[in-house]
Amino acid sequence: MNGLLTTLVLLPLVGFFLNGLFGRRLGTGFVNVVGVGLPLAAFGVAVWAWTLLEAQGGAPIIETVFTWAVIGEHAFEVSFYLDRLSALMALVVTGVGAAIHIYSIGYMKDDASYARYFAYLNLFLFFMLLLVLGRSLLVLFVGWEGVGLASYLLIGFWFEDAAKARAGRKAFLTNRVGDAGFLLGMFLIFTAVGTLEMDLINQAFAGGLVPVGIATAAAILLFIGATGKSAQIPLHVWLPDAMAGPTPVSALIHAATMVTAGVYLIARLSGVYLEAPAASELIAVIGVLTAFLAATIALVQTDIKKVLAYSTISQLGFMFLALGVGAYGVAVFHLFTHAFFKAALFLGAGSVIHALGGEQDIRRMGGLRRRIPWTFVTFAVATAAIAGLPPLAGFFSKDAIIWYALVSGAGGAVWLWALASVTALLTAFYMFRLLWLVFLGRSRMEPEVEHHVHESPVSMTGVLVILAVFSVIAGWFAVPDYLEPLLPLPLVQPALEHLHLAQVLFAVLLAGLGLIGAAYLYREGGWRARQWQTRMQGMHQLLMRNYFVDELYDRALQRPWRWISDRVFLRLGDRILLDGSLHGLAALARQGAAWLGRVQTGSLHWYAWLTLLGLVGVLLWTWRHV
Amino acid sequence: MIETLFLLVFASGALLGAVAMFFLRHPMRVALALIGTMLSLAAIYAALGMHVIAVFQVLIYVGAVMVFMIYAVMLLDVRDRSFTERFSALGVAGLAGLLLLVGVLLDGLLRSEMPPAAVVEDAFAVGTFAVTFMEGYWVYFALTAVLLLVAEIAASAVIDIRRRGRDRDAADAAEAQKHG
Amino acid sequence: MDDMAFLLAVSGLLFTLGLVGVIVRRNLLVMLMFLELMLNGVILSLVVFSHQLGSEAGGVLVFLVFVVAAAEIAIAVPILLLLVRLKRTLDPGAYAGLKG
Repeated sequence: MNGLLTTLVLLPLVGFFLNGLFGRRLGTGFVNVVGVGLPLAAFGVAVWAWTLLEAQGGAPIIETVFTWAVIGEHAFEVSFYLDRLSALMALVVTGVGAAIHIYSIGYMKDDASYARYFAYLNLFLFFMLLLVLGRSLLVLFVGWEGVGLASYLLIGFWFEDAAKARAGRKAFLTNRVGDAGFLLGMFLIFTAVGTLEMDLINQAFAGGLVPVGIATAAAILLFIGATGKSAQIPLHVWLPDAMAGPTPVSALIHAATMVTAGVYLIARLSGVYLEAPAASELIAVIGVLTAFLAATIALVQTDIKKVLAYSTISQLGFMFLALGVGAYGVAVFHLFTHAFFKAALFLGAGSVIHALGGEQDIRRMGGLRRRIPWTFVTFAVATAAIAGLPPLAGFFSKDAIIWYALVSGAGGAVWLWALASVTALLTAFYMFRLLWLVFLGRSRMEPEVEHHVHESPVSMTGVLVILAVFSVIAGWFAVPDYLEPLLPLPLVQPALEHLHLAQVLFAVLLAGLGLIGAAYLYREGGWRARQWQTRMQGMHQLLMRNYFVDELYDRALQRPWRWISDRVFLRLGDRILLDGSLHGLAALARQGAAWLGRVQTGSLHWYAWLTLLGLVGVLLWTWRHV
Repeated sequence: MIETLFLLVFASGALLGAVAMFFLRHPMRVALALIGTMLSLAAIYAALGMHVIAVFQVLIYVGAVMVFMIYAVMLLDVRDRSFTERFSALGVAGLAGLLLLVGVLLDGLLRSEMPPAAVVEDAFAVGTFAVTFMEGYWVYFALTAVLLLVAEIAASAVIDIRRRGRDRDAADAAEAQKHG
Repeated sequence: MDDMAFLLAVSGLLFTLGLVGVIVRRNLLVMLMFLELMLNGVILSLVVFSHQLGSEAGGVLVFLVFVVAAAEIAIAVPILLLLVRLKRTLDPGAYAGLKG
């Protein structure tokens, strides 16, 4: 059906306008219907589009909306492209998105800016759909920037608090750095192959027409953009601060969808990355390092949302690791499962925060298992999923990543596998630590808070249940095989093929170790954990302060930049050069006028003499010049 | 031949008068030198056959303008610095200017050619000239007369207004002084 | 040199002398008289050309110049009188109000 994809993309945009313009006046009911109904409708359309796609055997549906510009012989069109990969992304975005919209009804119930919240959320959905459905890198980039904007607006949603507003700004600026790389990569690709349509780019690169150097450069530049958006080292610093926004925002944007845009980009342009092995290696290295370091930091965090934030960074690292060793379909698989259990975890955290009336410090929680049972169960299921316990979702996707990290013919290495496995162990550990400290054991809550603990409304717990169910079953969808025609799995090194079963068992063992380790350290009031902490103060500090990355950036980048801004641009450039030249011109005019004014002496003789001179001049000019 | 001599004589007369104006101290004497120049010019006009103009030169210029000037000289018999010192501060500059301008004018004159002489019999005899004048050009004359009349009236009106204003201010000041 | 050119030279000389006289003399009345000299020089040149071309229009113009000169003097001298009544001197230095 014609216009289906356009409808899909535009539905949330309509929601943005209606909520933004009329939401405040027409009240909560209107906002609910429009703000939640339209995303649900979008999900329905996405499902329908997907069935159509399958009906024609997975052949891509292309829908051109309009021609944006024609420059010389290049025409830039805005068109949408639906194949299996983008269909999967669209389903995740609209599905999880709609669920989180429903959750927000309960969570944001008493907020003063209810309509503005839903307007921004709808706006985000629109841009995200542009991003995943765009055929051309230009359309993707519009969506890319747009989700950055929506993220900024939503992180700083409670902007009256200066710290929250600053967090939003930090996110936007860090993203911008990445976007510079993205743009450069885009330009390079355009110069190399003459088009920005991604399917055509893949074909051109696969045809071997582009020299390896250019492919590598473009690949790395695009990856820089991805590190910004998907919070990889070195541009990961914004994600923990982004927890200043409302929790459903953290769930949707900073767990399930926006941060996966980088993964989607690279998977989509797999044709480029297959031709640039050096770039892929870089991606794998950064991915695994990010995964490991973020996991170590998550071990010591005391804010429930910060633990989940670092966990997100870590899991994204896993996805990039998979991309780096050529297992694009596997990365998308993990993206798929991660969306469900991370969203469940974040929304569960939101439920806890809601129940405790705003408390986010896990040192002041505990024993909530019986008080908020639904939240507990869903949280526990999601925790097990992320830890990689079979047969839950995380087990399948994470295990596939670790397996390919070892055996991939396109870059698999033992150290990658080793580090990834250690990270998996740490993941299990810190997630169970979180579960323990929040829900199990004895209560450490303030009595005031404890008195008011209550289970969340159905709009919230219902969504939690749905997401928990998907956390269980999502792994049973054979996504890598589904995407095989588009994103072929890398060849397995034949020598290592037989290790598959051993690897699987090892992974389960690690998950179990993590669980037991957490239980051991934190039971009986957690005295053993405290002992460890006192013994390893230095390490603890290092981890608590995020390896001092923020301080490093401040020293290395912010202070010199501020100095330049002040000394060079303000004092030198603005005051001395600009103001000085203007003042100088004015002074010049004044001096010139004063100097010329001396002609007017008031003496008649002098005037007459000047007249004579003028007359002589005129005569000379007329008689000799002409 | 005699014509040229005639012109030469009276031209020298005019120039002599002009130069004399420079060096005479008393304004009255300067005025008389100017009258001498003007009379010489009138003679030149007459020699060229432009009788009407010669006549009016004497009548208007000498008879009205210069007489008026002489009245002014008589009324303003000031004996200060303007009387004792003839030349201003720009004496040397004036001399330089003189040489410069004369040089340029002569240069231009020497380079150019006179237009060919048209022979019209007695065009400027009084009778002929008067007829042509009244037939073709009296409109301009009348117009000029009207405009000049307007100018004179305006000038006197301005003076009168100013005087009235000053008188009123003086009267107000006197009133204020009386009461205060 | 033929007569007309000679007379034109005289005319130029008279004009120049008039202008220089305005620059050089220190008495307002005398300066006025030099202005009249300038005017006479120009009238001479006008007459010469009029004679040369035989056109009456030149004559009429000379006529009008006379009229204007007369009117000009009729205004200039009273102005001078009023000014002198104010400042009590004929020295142009006292009338430097336009300085600056």
